Amino acid sequence: MAERGGGDRGGFGRGFGRGRGDRGRGDRGRGRRGGRRDEEEKWVPVTKLGRLVKEGKITSLEQIYLHSLPVKEHQIVDTLLGGRLKDEVMKIMPVQKQTRAGQRTRFKAFVVVGDSDGHVGLGVKCAKEVATAIRGAIILAKLSVVPVRRGFWGNKIGKPHTVPCKVTGKCGSVTVRLVPAPRGAGIVAARVPKKVLQFAGIEDVYTSSRGSTKTLGNFVKATFDCLMKTYGFLTPDLWLDTRFSKSPFQEYTDLLAKPTKASLIESTERVEA
Amino acid sequence: MDPDTNDIISFQELSLDKENELEELEEEDELEEYVTVGFLEKPKHPKFLLRHRFPSKTGGAPAWLDPLDLPTGKSSICDFCEEPLQFLLQIYAPISDKESTFHRMLYVFLCPSMICLLQNQYEQWKHREEDPRRSVKVFRCQLPRFNAFYSSEPPRRDGNDKPLIVGAALCSWCGTWKGEKVCSSCKRAPYCSKKHQARHWKSGHKIQCHQIIGNLETNSSSVLREKPPDKVACRLWPEYEMVIEDECAFDLEGSEDISCETSSLVPKHVTDDTYQFLLDKFEADDNKKSWASFQERISKCPSQVLRYSRDLMVNPLWPLSIGRPSLVNIPKCKYCNGSLCYEFQIMPQLLYYLGVKNDSDSLDWGVIVIYTCLASCESNVRYKEEFTWVQLYPTAPVT
Repeated sequence: MAERGGGDRGGFGRGFGRGRGDRGRGDRGRGRRGGRRDEEEKWVPVTKLGRLVKEGKITSLEQIYLHSLPVKEHQIVDTLLGGRLKDEVMKIMPVQKQTRAGQRTRFKAFVVVGDSDGHVGLGVKCAKEVATAIRGAIILAKLSVVPVRRGFWGNKIGKPHTVPCKVTGKCGSVTVRLVPAPRGAGIVAARVPKKVLQFAGIEDVYTSSRGSTKTLGNFVKATFDCLMKTYGFLTPDLWLDTRFSKSPFQEYTDLLAKPTKASLIESTERVEA
Repeated sequence: MDPDTNDIISFQELSLDKENELEELEEEDELEEYVTVGFLEKPKHPKFLLRHRFPSKTGGAPAWLDPLDLPTGKSSICDFCEEPLQFLLQIYAPISDKESTFHRMLYVFLCPSMICLLQNQYEQWKHREEDPRRSVKVFRCQLPRFNAFYSSEPPRRDGNDKPLIVGAALCSWCGTWKGEKVCSSCKRAPYCSKKHQARHWKSGHKIQCHQIIGNLETNSSSVLREKPPDKVACRLWPEYEMVIEDECAFDLEGSEDISCETSSLVPKHVTDDTYQFLLDKFEADDNKKSWASFQERISKCPSQVLRYSRDLMVNPLWPLSIGRPSLVNIPKCKYCNGSLCYEFQIMPQLLYYLGVKNDSDSLDWGVIVIYTCLASCESNVRYKEEFTWVQLYPTAPVT
């Protein structure tokens, strides 16, 4: 392929910026890069958090939540929650825009993901094709996974099964109120929030809603907002002082730092706490 | 098609469309941008990465194109911590239009300390007149086809290729920079700076020095010159060869068929009015949008480490919207005062391949974009400095 006498082409062998004329479109999926399947499966992290997760230094989502680190790659959630994560399309809605040449229709997809054990996420994506919208919404939902706190209605026997306290969430005109329920009550809610609550892993709850619940977007978002608040509510068992721990970005420097340095950091943290 | 009603409709829509047009352009598929992408692969043999093969590579020691007139002094050190810079990557990017750019190499060096990178991030906004200090430096070297260093025929790749002359001595510790200073006791080991001499002394040269002096007295041997490769390799970043592919070769083949048969809880014909509010909550700010389009673009080939395009119409792919340079921030060429244009960018996936640790103070960047002289000018300086722009991920979470 013109290895000799590259007089007008410049340079020997393969270099960047050559062949600007030929677009090489015929060489689709050539040789070693043709295996697009392995490229898809192999995730190359782009952020530091991604690299830490890929190495295996971070083993659970809780470590990420503890330090409020922003999750920018959905593969992080995939790696940490694995196969337990299920998703469901809540609604596909065609939205239209008027253009000179008629109407341009796009599809808006609402997707809820969850592992039925304390993690839920909600994603919304608009795209020209339904499949693209759903795919994009699943990715966005994974990025927005939040922890859900569960508690008991009465006696603390067995595993937590209901919300720890009465919480309420609001979006637009819709307010959703979740009330703890005894075991066996089941999820007493409308079809839409019931799905979200099932994904969250809440087994029994009473709900009460107000406002224009016909607007599905607001209704779902209000429920989600409510679930986010479960960990924001200060209950008596959280009255004890928290002992701050180092964020994952700090943990590993201390392995290499001298002992004096480590004790200094801990003492300052104790003062802060 | 009724022309009258169409005209009326289109007239009314013109005003609506103006504000939406920009949005539409962004949403439409981008025009086919011709971008070349670089991947890393283990080299089949380290011999293939020597300078007479004109390699594109990452890590290890650089394969200097012009082996004699290497950058020295201030250009080879980090302006903040005064340590010699470490070699990151080099690419072979000849330009076919001019004779003087038959061979053209771009070298990227950076200081591995994150503290220096953060300071560099601040200084890169300063104007050229203030003589900003940098910790990331890029050098461009070009040669015509007929030159004193390499044969004018392409390398035969049969194992017998050799450069025409032997290069200058390189530092015994880093193997990267020119070894101008020599060890004062054995007068044989070259070093690029006092710091490297001190380190080499501590980690073994103290013992070897005496042996060398002993050897010198018995017979004159220049064995020392051949040593650097295995000893320095452990200190530098792992060596890879860069493989070049066109981005369009990865385009998804066809789109999946549109199936509206998905079950949804609420019937499809019910439409809402309050979606703008929802959009704001879920989708938007600028940073998130640029991140989303960045992710989408790299998902075609997730292991890319370098994007190259000398096309003037192509913009660099930024992961975030904050911290981008505007036209004012990009200076003119230092040597010919001509304008600079975007040439290539280094992606954060490279950090994964280099195996940098992930502590709070280890190296991390969003993207490093390199702007080079549009005319690829000639000057007496063999290794000309070009302009780099680093975009880092924000340390504090941006709401």
